[in-house]
Amino acid sequence: MPAVEMKGIAKWYGKILAVDNVDLNIQQGEIFGLLGPNGSGKSTTLKMLLGLVQPEGGSVNVLGINVQEDPVAVKRQVGYVPESPRLYEFLTGIEYLDFIGDVYGMSAEEKRERINEYLRALQLEGREGDMISGYSEGMKQKVALISAFLHRPKLLILDEPLSGLDPRSARIVKDLLYELKAQGVTTIMSTHVLEIAQALCDRIAIMYQGRLLALGTMDELRQRAMLPDSGLEDIFLKLTGTGDVRAVVEELLK
Amino acid sequence: MNWKNVARLIRIDMKAGRLIRGRRLARFRESKLSVYLLYGGALIIGLAVGAVAGFIYNTVIIVADPELGLLFHQGLLDLFLSLPTLVLIYSLVFTMMQQIQRSGVKFSVQSPYWLPITWEEHTLASVFANLLGFPLVSIIFTGSAIIVLSVFIGQVAYAALTVPALSASAFMASTITEILRILQVRFIGAVYKSTGRAAIWVRFAGSLLFFIVFYVVYFFFTSGAGAITFVQTVASAQSAVWFVPFVWLGMTLFSFINGLFMQAFIFMTLSLLFILSLYYAAVMLNKRFGLYEPPAITVSRGLYIPRTGFLGKLGFSTIEAALIRKDFKAFTRRRELMYIFIVPIVIMIVPLMQTIGTMGGQLPTTPAPPFIYGFLFIMPSAIIAMGLGNMLIGEEGEAVWRIYSSPISARSLVKSKYSFLVFFSALVTMVTTIVGVAVFHPSFRAIVVALIESLLLSFALGAVSLANGIKGADFTELPRPRMIRPKWSIINLVTCALTTFAVLVPFIPYLFQFAQSSPIPTMDPYQALAISAVIASIITLVAYRLALRNAREFIAKAET
Repeated sequence: MPAVEMKGIAKWYGKILAVDNVDLNIQQGEIFGLLGPNGSGKSTTLKMLLGLVQPEGGSVNVLGINVQEDPVAVKRQVGYVPESPRLYEFLTGIEYLDFIGDVYGMSAEEKRERINEYLRALQLEGREGDMISGYSEGMKQKVALISAFLHRPKLLILDEPLSGLDPRSARIVKDLLYELKAQGVTTIMSTHVLEIAQALCDRIAIMYQGRLLALGTMDELRQRAMLPDSGLEDIFLKLTGTGDVRAVVEELLK
Repeated sequence: MNWKNVARLIRIDMKAGRLIRGRRLARFRESKLSVYLLYGGALIIGLAVGAVAGFIYNTVIIVADPELGLLFHQGLLDLFLSLPTLVLIYSLVFTMMQQIQRSGVKFSVQSPYWLPITWEEHTLASVFANLLGFPLVSIIFTGSAIIVLSVFIGQVAYAALTVPALSASAFMASTITEILRILQVRFIGAVYKSTGRAAIWVRFAGSLLFFIVFYVVYFFFTSGAGAITFVQTVASAQSAVWFVPFVWLGMTLFSFINGLFMQAFIFMTLSLLFILSLYYAAVMLNKRFGLYEPPAITVSRGLYIPRTGFLGKLGFSTIEAALIRKDFKAFTRRRELMYIFIVPIVIMIVPLMQTIGTMGGQLPTTPAPPFIYGFLFIMPSAIIAMGLGNMLIGEEGEAVWRIYSSPISARSLVKSKYSFLVFFSALVTMVTTIVGVAVFHPSFRAIVVALIESLLLSFALGAVSLANGIKGADFTELPRPRMIRPKWSIINLVTCALTTFAVLVPFIPYLFQFAQSSPIPTMDPYQALAISAVIASIITLVAYRLALRNAREFIAKAET
């Protein structure tokens, strides 16, 4: 059973076609990267996996459950970090995580254990009793990430997960994703940092103007772009047709 | 001083108001007419009011009764004389109110601090911006009315001096507001630091106290009797306290009208120096504390131990209990939500003050008419139920993604939100009943009827407003949390008014009986209470189902 199965999904925002007939199959235990320029439909696609955006065509199945039919059952098994997550700033870090634990039905003992472990790992110890309004952006991102990992989800949907993290915490999160992959946890992440995608992801999809432009492993993408020894940045720029950066820079320097 | 920078900053503040009004501008340019319409309207109405008052003075009062005309003339001069001091106090109240309401705007215009703009420019722009809206409208209206009226009463020179004095008073008030704003931020920071873990409750109690004192003062100055007494006091007492800098503008006018031109000149110079010193004090404070950020509030320390809580024992699921606990923290920690607690307190305090005032400072000793008791002590909990229902979904703000992405069903969401608002309304009912019994000594029957009716109304209004609040939720947070779309706020007001009427309808005959002017026969209030309970239950049930349906739609259509 695939972790994610999207068939012919589409989404319009007024006259703008945000997602155009996308088919996607993601296997369990896979780390899947979703790349694309701003406004290419990545976040909309990720939100559809949770039932946060209703597709106007096609179907979305997550872990064998139809999202439109039973979104709550899907949400129970998913950990989600949106792009620039807004937290309840009037709560302390610990209160927020306690709230998350309760929402996902964790036992008191499990909550205590896991929250303390994560706080220690991401160096939030000592600040967990402060109101989130006093946290830096990086600290807020750590709290958002912990809230996604806390209940041992089977699928992680992470929109720019490493944004604002210090190098140590970023490394911990990356290693954690590898470990979770070994345990069969699927991760779908969107990022603009192409080095991270190249290093972390088993397969990568490139979206452009709502369509799935390319999909495959790094080798498959290189073949597709006919750039055999190139990195993801060159492949991305070539496939999305946004590679005219030299001319743009020269224009700006005039 | 770069005046263009000052003008640019003021324009930013004016434009930030768009967010408050919720306007979405499709075009880069907007009509200047619409921006200045409010002020233009105040000018035209002021001119018209001045002309009508002058016309009545010349053609009716003087012709009908010359003695009355003289009294009227003297009264007007007294009013002109007191205006600078009055404007100072009223502007201070209103600019402070603007500060409270527009704190989000202030937040959104603080971003250019890294730009090459001096603190002098920032402070001056902020002082002018504080005056935008109602304070400026009042000054334009009063000034234009005075100018026109002065032509009719032959006091043009006096009016010509009064109008700049009014403007200077308003500027002074706004500068004081700016100083208080900066000091308040610094003071709050010091309080957080010194009170440690108790900071959260100190802030809650302090904010409530501040709002209550502010609104009592506000209602005193704006309610009929208090306002008239105040004007009379200022007019008569101003000269006695000439050494207080805040009345120097009024003293300038007083000296001028009495022909003491040298004295007038001295007071005018002193006034200008005082305003300048206030402005520079504001600049200095801004330089020192303008970028000060209060320290983070620490609520708890030590190893985390989860608490089970008693909500589970009351039949709430873990998710529902978590949502209720989260909302409780929101309403005791978020300043914009604490506001909801002020409304019932102010509703109780203002009539209590008036009652005690009319009794010569004494509490009444005889039982109050049941209608008055019932009204005063049913309304606070009804209003809190209506207000909470209206905002309980919208208060989630931009963090609402958490609700959308978590496994929270519509049933759990509605149950937790409704229980929360019913709990708070019931709490307010208990408090108002205790205060009501202590102050008004109602009969036992009146206590029972008011108490049960208050709860019934809270249940019904809570369900109705929650259904509306879910449908019209607005999660915009800047410049201030909006929580409900204006259209749905109005719909909620109308439906809640209809609900209140429907629930209270059985008591109409009793009201007539109280008035003792109706042929309707005496009716036992317990019968009315029973009928009212049936009506309230039906409304509650229907509205609760509607809230559930709206919640299902709300969760399913997360994108909107």
